[in-house]
Amino acid sequence: MTKKLNPCSPIFGLSDDEAVMVDFDNVSFKTIKYWAFRTMKFHKLEGFIILRSSKGCYHVVFNRSVDWSENMRIVAWIALLSNNKGLQKYHLLQCIKESSTLRMSTKKQKPSPRIVYRYGKQNTQIRCFLQYRKLIKNIIKKIAKNLCDKA
Amino acid sequence: MTKRIVVYGSYVAKKPVFQRYWKRRVDGIKQRYWKKTTRYKKVVVSSGRYEFYGKGRDLYGAIWLAHQIMPNGYVVVSAAEFLAHPEKYGTGGFWIDKEVESL
Repeated sequence: MTKKLNPCSPIFGLSDDEAVMVDFDNVSFKTIKYWAFRTMKFHKLEGFIILRSSKGCYHVVFNRSVDWSENMRIVAWIALLSNNKGLQKYHLLQCIKESSTLRMSTKKQKPSPRIVYRYGKQNTQIRCFLQYRKLIKNIIKKIAKNLCDKA
Repeated sequence: MTKRIVVYGSYVAKKPVFQRYWKRRVDGIKQRYWKKTTRYKKVVVSSGRYEFYGKGRDLYGAIWLAHQIMPNGYVVVSAAEFLAHPEKYGTGGFWIDKEVESL
């Protein structure tokens, strides 16, 4: 049985400015796949993974390393052309912080994001992203176990 | 720049209570000052975050400590530094279940 953190634990995520990370809200899987392919081809991003964070909400991480200005240029390009309100808000929030953040843990009733689609090269940023994802999940598991032992 | 692990959410923090007092200055003007008391009050903070970077063992320790020490606003710190001086970056309190933006 998998042990979960109590509902009042904080939210864990990964923050980075080199990887292009996008958060789509209220879209179908077909739409997200279309935008991921189109962005990858237009900006030569080598590959991508799609993670499903909750019903109708998806995260996309691209493979190629970029600098911060190019990163925001790409996210703004997708936000403008896809006309997705959630993504436009996400873009503004990331601009304020100067780094892109994606959630890794559960959040209220939402489960932690899981990989639903992979395409192209996965050897640069996606590899790092998945390593950190694994690290965070291990830490969360360990902490949950310690909390359960304490209780 | 390195990748960073983010811990964020809403929380209740213990903040010191300040008490006001007035003092007449040498030029005759009565000025208000604030002094820190020994009392603490609980304050709900809608959003705060830690951003940790470093090695796996330090990150684990820092995240464990982040469950007990609430951030002073938005804190970007190395996990080892946070473990050495946690009181510099946060105060006591607990996390609460409340909707928060990923800001």
